[in-house]
Amino acid sequence: MRSRDMTRGRAPLRPLLVKELWEILGGPAAWAMLLLVCPLVGYSFFQAVSLYAEASEAALQSPALASGLVPLDGILVPTFGAFYVAVTLLFPFVAIRVLGGEKESGALRLLVQLPYRPATLIGVKLAAILAAWTVTFVPVLSALLVWRMFGGHLALPETLNLILGHLLYGLLVGAIALFAAAVSDNAATAAILALAFTLGSWVLDFTLSGRPGLSEWIAQLSLTQTLRHFEQGLLSLGLVLGIIACIGFFAALATIWLPPGSAPKHKLVRSALCLLAVLVVVAATAAIHRTFDLTEDQRNSFAPADQRALAQLTAPLVVTARFSPEDPRYVDLRRNVLAKLERVMPNVTIRLVGSRQAAAASASDDAYGEVEYVYAGRSDASRSTSPREILPLLYGLAGVSPPAPLPGTAYEGYPLVADASSSLLWFFAALPLLIGFAWWWTRRPPSSRTLIHFTEVQR
Amino acid sequence: MTPRLLEVLSLAKRYGDQVALADIAFSVHGGEVLGLIGPNGAGKTTLLEAIAGLLPVDAGAILWNGRELPPERRREAIFYLPDGVRPYGEQAVARVLAFFAGVYRRSRTQTAEIVDALDLAPVLAKRVHALSKGYARRTMLALGLLSPHPLLMMDEPFDGFDLRQTRAVAELLRRVAGEGRTLVLAIHQLADAERACDRFLLLADGRLRATGSLEELRAKAGRPTANLEELFLALT
Repeated sequence: MRSRDMTRGRAPLRPLLVKELWEILGGPAAWAMLLLVCPLVGYSFFQAVSLYAEASEAALQSPALASGLVPLDGILVPTFGAFYVAVTLLFPFVAIRVLGGEKESGALRLLVQLPYRPATLIGVKLAAILAAWTVTFVPVLSALLVWRMFGGHLALPETLNLILGHLLYGLLVGAIALFAAAVSDNAATAAILALAFTLGSWVLDFTLSGRPGLSEWIAQLSLTQTLRHFEQGLLSLGLVLGIIACIGFFAALATIWLPPGSAPKHKLVRSALCLLAVLVVVAATAAIHRTFDLTEDQRNSFAPADQRALAQLTAPLVVTARFSPEDPRYVDLRRNVLAKLERVMPNVTIRLVGSRQAAAASASDDAYGEVEYVYAGRSDASRSTSPREILPLLYGLAGVSPPAPLPGTAYEGYPLVADASSSLLWFFAALPLLIGFAWWWTRRPPSSRTLIHFTEVQR
Repeated sequence: MTPRLLEVLSLAKRYGDQVALADIAFSVHGGEVLGLIGPNGAGKTTLLEAIAGLLPVDAGAILWNGRELPPERRREAIFYLPDGVRPYGEQAVARVLAFFAGVYRRSRTQTAEIVDALDLAPVLAKRVHALSKGYARRTMLALGLLSPHPLLMMDEPFDGFDLRQTRAVAELLRRVAGEGRTLVLAIHQLADAERACDRFLLLADGRLRATGSLEELRAKAGRPTANLEELFLALT
């Protein structure tokens, strides 16, 4: 067979990658999204800084309030939140373009004949989606820079962790969009399918979150849930691997459905096998409980001395909480104590005994609101949701004395009174102008130097 | 005659109750220009896509040099240029050509020769979607010529060309075939097909009605002076 090396899987990746980047960045979708992200992120940032400044004014009068002024909660999460909305609603349209355009123009029939495996084609398209996400992330990055220019504080680990979370979320949305484009005949159908995933899971999260049993489990499948840990400053190994597995799953589905020459029956069988594989992987990742508290104020951990002491308590701890899951006291207990115990102690089982009916009848049910702790054959109960009362109880059950606090500086917070009005000029005028210029630059015709390469025939 | 490069065995394709291809069997010899002739709806595009492995078929096989070539490996031997495609419309012609030249490691000289042969220099900076029908067709032909495959299949390669352009492109394709490349051209304009092809496959309603060179078809039809148009009407 002639020219085997040019027609069998050894073709250079660079031209394909360059083509995909030109396709996604040369078209209007990514730039239109970028222009929309500017005011969205800009206004959220402006509001966040204004509210932060108001709270900081009070904190400057009373330093005790300052420890509550955390840039992660006050600035980063609201600013990134606007980006999350844009990624959920708009990014599918950008990501669909990397395949939908080729499907609609018929160029896909050329693409699949090139000497690349379908997995390579999809992998490069995913790389182009990553590039598009990076471009659309520019307004958020600029918000962080503006915050620093105002004199604001950014803790690198928690900031990078939040960026990682949004990156994984963006790639997940992109992979879903890619799959939608692979199974649809046109971009409009693909957009509907992708939005059914993103908006559907959003609705799922709103309606089912906080409900017990199956509803809670289904709510956990929502795409929105992927960001919760990152917004709390937690890096969960299992979650990261689970999201990567899901990205891989949708990319694999897109790979299966890409070649037009395969029979639908074969595609369905391979898709089912893929689904089985990802279910196994996700189940395995769900069993990985290793998490890292990357917050500067260590909000997801007890005091360092308690962390050390609790890590030594290796016997099983069984906690039985008599609460309805949506009871605010249980939410407090979960956040302040139980989640931290799960992170630090090697063997913790939490049982929630309660329902909405129990909450309604709580006035007559004396046991409602009680939490029983069983450790090493000994048990005790408490109604407190504060670690100040629960940790001594646990030390008592374990027969160890509470540790002495380790020396160290307490988190003091980062109050900042800043006027964010000037940022509006950046987000609503200067940045959009720069984006318009960059868009024009990508759409310029090839230079005459490039063109001359095509006309220099050696005679 | 050169040995058989490609053999199509009992290819069949249905869309529900509608027969798109029925028991199609023929062979293509190395270095020849084979014309797939038939009116619109005869099954030419379906046949080309089935051979290229871009369309699942209900029955049949493709042999390459006597060995079965499964659909996923067809792109190693065959390159197919579909009809009505304007690939990467937002990109300049030069970028699209550079992409294919890069994928197939074509040198600047090779690329420039193809640009020269198809007279594409005036539109290199133009976006593909802004090209006239003729230049869009030439761009597609350039992509086909940049590919290194031994067998190049083209769907309506002369569509959008005037008489002079058709003659020039037909001459170019004859030259390409003369260099050892095999061409299968689906053409519905019979005068164009007669000008460009060595041998013909007459298709109608998804069925193969006759195959052979112009002389062979004349002998089959018993009309020694007939042109391809008259032979097509007589044999289908």
